[in-house]
Amino acid sequence: MAKKTPARPNVKVVIDGNEISVPEGTLVVDAAKVIGTHIPVYCSHPKLDPAGLCRICLVEIEKMPKLQIACATRVTEGMVVHTSTARVAEARRGVLEFLLLNHPLDCPICDKGGECDLQDYTMSYGAGASRLTEPKLHKPKRVDLGPTIVLDEERCILCRRCTRFDDEIAQERNLIVAERGHKSLISTRDGGGYRSYFSGNTTEICPVGALTSKAYRFRSRPWDLGRADSVCTQCSVGCNFRIDTRFGHVMRTFTRENPEVDDGWLCDRGRYTFNYMYSPARLRQPLVRRDGEHRPASFDEALAYAAQRLGAAAAAGKVGVIGGGRLSDEEAFALQTFAREVLGTNNIDYRTHIQRFASPARFGASLADIDDADLVLVFGTFTPEQAPVLDLRLRRAVARRGAKLMHIGPYKPDYPVAVQHVEYPPGAIAELMEQLADTVHHGREESGDGFVADIAQQLVDAEKIVAIHNGRNVAGAASLERLMETLARYDHQVGILVVGAMGNARGAEAAGCVPNLGPGYAEVHGAPGMTTTQMLAAASSGELDALVVVGANPALTGADGTLARAAFERVGFLMAVDLFMTETASHADVVFAAASFAEKQGHTTNLEGRRQAFVQAVEPPVGVYTDSQILASLATALGKPNAVRADADELFVDLLAAEARAMAARPKDAPLPRPSIAEAPSSTADQVDATHRRLMICPIPHLYAGGGAAAHDPGLAEMRPKPYAVFSIADASRIGVVTGERVRLSGPGGTIEVEARVGDQAPVGVALVLADMPEAPENKLLEETGFGWATVEKVAQAREASA
Amino acid sequence: MTPFEPVLTKGLGEFDLADIDVYESRGGFSALRKALREMTPDAVVSEVSASNLRGRGGAGFPTGKKWSFLPKDGRPRYLVCNCDEAEPGTFKDRMLLEKTPLQIIEGLLISAYAIQANEIIMYIRGEFLEGFRVFKNALDAVRSRGYVGDKVAGSDFSIDILLHRGAGAYICGEETALLNSVEGKRGEPRLKPPFPANAGLYGMPTVVNNVETVAFVPHIITRGAKWFASIGPSSSPGPKIVSVSGHVQRPGNYEIPLGISIRELIDEYAGGLRPGRRVKAIQPGGGSSAAIFEEDLDTGYDYESLAAKRTMLGSGAVVVMDDTACLVRSSMTLVRFFEKESCGQCTPCREGGQWVHRLVARLEAGEGTDADLRILNTINTTITGTNLCPLGDSIMPFLSSVLKRFPDEFAAHVKLARCPLGAGSSESAA
Amino acid sequence: MTPAREAKGKALVAAHHDGQSALIPFLQYCQEEDGYVTPAALDDAATLTGLTRGEVESIASFYSLLFQRPIGKHVIQVCRTLACMLGGADELRAHAKARLGVTDGGTTSDGMFTYEEVECLAACDKAPCLQHNLRYHYDVTPAEFDRLLEQWKRERPDAAMPAE
Repeated sequence: MAKKTPARPNVKVVIDGNEISVPEGTLVVDAAKVIGTHIPVYCSHPKLDPAGLCRICLVEIEKMPKLQIACATRVTEGMVVHTSTARVAEARRGVLEFLLLNHPLDCPICDKGGECDLQDYTMSYGAGASRLTEPKLHKPKRVDLGPTIVLDEERCILCRRCTRFDDEIAQERNLIVAERGHKSLISTRDGGGYRSYFSGNTTEICPVGALTSKAYRFRSRPWDLGRADSVCTQCSVGCNFRIDTRFGHVMRTFTRENPEVDDGWLCDRGRYTFNYMYSPARLRQPLVRRDGEHRPASFDEALAYAAQRLGAAAAAGKVGVIGGGRLSDEEAFALQTFAREVLGTNNIDYRTHIQRFASPARFGASLADIDDADLVLVFGTFTPEQAPVLDLRLRRAVARRGAKLMHIGPYKPDYPVAVQHVEYPPGAIAELMEQLADTVHHGREESGDGFVADIAQQLVDAEKIVAIHNGRNVAGAASLERLMETLARYDHQVGILVVGAMGNARGAEAAGCVPNLGPGYAEVHGAPGMTTTQMLAAASSGELDALVVVGANPALTGADGTLARAAFERVGFLMAVDLFMTETASHADVVFAAASFAEKQGHTTNLEGRRQAFVQAVEPPVGVYTDSQILASLATALGKPNAVRADADELFVDLLAAEARAMAARPKDAPLPRPSIAEAPSSTADQVDATHRRLMICPIPHLYAGGGAAAHDPGLAEMRPKPYAVFSIADASRIGVVTGERVRLSGPGGTIEVEARVGDQAPVGVALVLADMPEAPENKLLEETGFGWATVEKVAQAREASA
Repeated sequence: MTPFEPVLTKGLGEFDLADIDVYESRGGFSALRKALREMTPDAVVSEVSASNLRGRGGAGFPTGKKWSFLPKDGRPRYLVCNCDEAEPGTFKDRMLLEKTPLQIIEGLLISAYAIQANEIIMYIRGEFLEGFRVFKNALDAVRSRGYVGDKVAGSDFSIDILLHRGAGAYICGEETALLNSVEGKRGEPRLKPPFPANAGLYGMPTVVNNVETVAFVPHIITRGAKWFASIGPSSSPGPKIVSVSGHVQRPGNYEIPLGISIRELIDEYAGGLRPGRRVKAIQPGGGSSAAIFEEDLDTGYDYESLAAKRTMLGSGAVVVMDDTACLVRSSMTLVRFFEKESCGQCTPCREGGQWVHRLVARLEAGEGTDADLRILNTINTTITGTNLCPLGDSIMPFLSSVLKRFPDEFAAHVKLARCPLGAGSSESAA
Repeated sequence: MTPAREAKGKALVAAHHDGQSALIPFLQYCQEEDGYVTPAALDDAATLTGLTRGEVESIASFYSLLFQRPIGKHVIQVCRTLACMLGGADELRAHAKARLGVTDGGTTSDGMFTYEEVECLAACDKAPCLQHNLRYHYDVTPAEFDRLLEQWKRERPDAAMPAE
């Protein structure tokens, strides 16, 4: 059972003459904050265990002869604390003198200048001049610590916040302290790179300029920065951050601690993905394809052309709209309004990945529920790659509170904390959930299968259970809900989180970017429209004359890439709205250049269903408009000038009103309706081929995969993976390949060439292929189910065979 | 010379006390049998408490009281023996280890029985390879006699001793650093609270005792708490092995009754000073202790008397410096020691200790200035009393005490740009 | 990891409370076998104990008797703390370094002798003292050092830093 913390009674404490009442065991440094007293600290951090290393927080406590460190001393009844006596002042002056002794006078060139705790405390508490009369000791400066961080060992005050973060929060233990005494250094495993998805957090928690971001080095001063409160949209967790700008240019992002979402952390993808906005590849004006080539066009020209073709298709009832998951709530609402009110169709769908639904219909959990869960079940998703900051909560729950974590599925990657892998065919998850529900209900004896009984026992032993999945398997989700319902009946606390395939998948779904539901999950007028897959099939066969794709890239991310590409090639008219010339946009007849999230305001909804506001940080380039502005203009050009509003605030008001109406019409506590799912053609793609002639292709996520921002951001270039596929040792032997060699995977839809990796992360008969890599799109091999088949050959062989 | 019959060192040199037959023939393991057969664990704790035995490693904490702090909560308990002797001037534990390992083992077994320990860990300093081998052989012999392992000496009490070699770090002599080292981590001290009694080895209730301390336990069992308490001053009774070195004619380990004067210790036990020489400074309690001087020779060598002289008994290591000793160079060896051995966790010890060494080294080499002296005279309050563990607090005491008593010697190093005694610089010699 | 090393490692883990508690004994064992703590030994230790390679390095680099650089067949460690200094250690140190042609921490060019100046070895009554391959030598005058050096030159030690 995961450990629980019992409530503590309050005690009376006097700090600097002020009597306060705080829970017993509160750290003195926290108790002081109650009266607004900020005791200086370096090694102490609210999210890290007390370390007691820097000694700057020494205070006087009556009845204790020596000064005590406020960061690690806990209050007791009647404790009397003095934080600003002469003794305390001298101690602080002493600690600062020692820290500054060999500290380099780098302030003029140090990024931390202006937001540096060493500067600030020296001003407040330090002596005016150094008493050192000999040369300062030198240590390595400008240590390249990896793709994101530079380390300056001379500036380091050895507070160990970074190594403790890596140990206590990220649990990765790649940052270490080496040597001892004053020769101590921060280092990495074998002096190599600090590779972590969370490296950027160390630059924030480092009190001095020892750890700095390569993306921000020498680029600005904090007093030059404008700040905009924003929300990261790179994944569905929706971490709160701040976009810092200088003279209208985004310089960096910074955490904006929301204890309920990010808890003060950002992943490197969220933190460092902004320079794509300034990529030369970014679209800065509309493009129109004439004679097979994309040429720049004026906004009016593009608008007129698009309106003409879309108007015709809409009149014939042969138009479809794809997109919404990468838009704000307001824009997603605008998109569905455009589809329904302007184009007169219910053919709208945000789902351009294998994800089929973005919200748990019932038992929706919050991120904080992970913190005190006893058991967490995960299937269909790998949270370190798809929801990294969520994963930090998971790691903490496992390592610090003894929560049990279970991954169910074909993929067994390395994981920093203890996890139980349950190898299970991905398509059959529903069956497992049903068996578990039965076993829980009827008791262990009912279950014949050993490991099912074991999982059921763990469920029964857990007071609080959270399940996390990727919203792909509808039957599985329904069965999971049945399992949760069963557990809830037996007084377990349960919750479900669905990790979104896109940042605002849930917001798009809730705004009505689905064929059968309107804003607020309301029922639509008329027959439900086509799903993405149906639209692509219809476009392919000529049943649809036109497609509008807004902020989506089904050619790369769609489950069935072959179908998507065929659809885009054959459809009569394709309009795309995007920031870059993606695989999809390259097929479009008209491309509109869209603004990025930093260049507009709005709201976005995270996987919890939490709606969060973000503020505009910078102006978009001239000629680049927000999606809602583009749609509003298009609506006007199509003869419906007021159908879609351009302004985000106005859209938001309308969206809220629509949601209110929908909620009023729905019975309270009713489960959220599901978006319609097209019947998938039956397929054996989720079963292993016993003859071993083909391998089942199972896509695996990578945080830095993708064809949009991630592909065009120079700061991420070093972190982008090269396409690879993981094979079991048995399969690798059969193919005749070892790690590092290249292989060709061939399916009915096409061929890709990737690097082979051999290991026990892959089950026999399955090839785990990195998903969403433009250089080797795995969706060429996939069917609509999200799985596929391929024959695999070593590349040298393949060349021989073709010779 | 105060009459006194040695306890721990009785027979040493005369008999091979590492031989189990010899040890048993001299009464060895009878105390163990008595404790197991005739006393409850609590009774053993009471006896040791009543004896007023204080820890002999340096901290001087009452042993029985330390044992009684263990919570009765059913969690596994550990007895850890600290044989990481590395305090400058101390060499008594190594002697006990190499010469009477069986006495240590018997003491550990009785102590483990008293606190109902699940396991004994014997932590031996890495440099003591020879002692490790002797102890291991002794342990093998003890095991074959049934005194260690399942059902010790036929009783219901089972216990084993795990040997753990250190790997070179003075700071591992600090009890929480030692525990971290046993756990296979960097040997860095932990924050206290929590204390080892509650959260020690692997987070479990743990007692860490010094080698010399546990060696007394069999004797207390055999001869009684009253006997022990009657030796020396009542507040800190018993014999103590004192390591005497430096400018004396017969440096060595001497078992004395606590309370004899330092003069007696030096003159009667250690053969006095070399002919024609006078006491200049004495470090009475290991490298962390402040110096005492010629006028202090009649001070009793015990915990309270030395504390009253603003120094300490510490590990019981007396280093005598006569009038040929350069106190600047003597201080330098100590501040250099603490710089080298600092674990580096906390600021004053790590940065301040390194700075003090650089200052004193320059002084010693004849490159010091008056400004340096002013710093050394004022740095005490920010280095001492502000650290995570006692090492940082140990940097200044000796230096401050001799600087205060012999300011001219330090000033002369500045003025003459070399040692007035003509000692030359330590590093230029090197 | 060689099968023998793996067997030894597993035996150490079995004898200790957990994998990490066996780390330092394991590294001492590897050091005895290889002459120093090699990068391969660090990797082996990480595999054996389940710690990351970085953690193992961090721990190993803390301890002065674990050498992560090649050392000689003979390791001479001369004490330089207070009592030995009073007994003449400074002269011994100067002499030893001149005789060997190295500085503190250095190894002779033929790779035979590593020389280190260390802190109190707990042999203060027989100052100055030194350890040679963790064996004590007492009352070492410069002349005595020369005598010992000749003796060591004729020796073929099994290991500079024995594990047990």
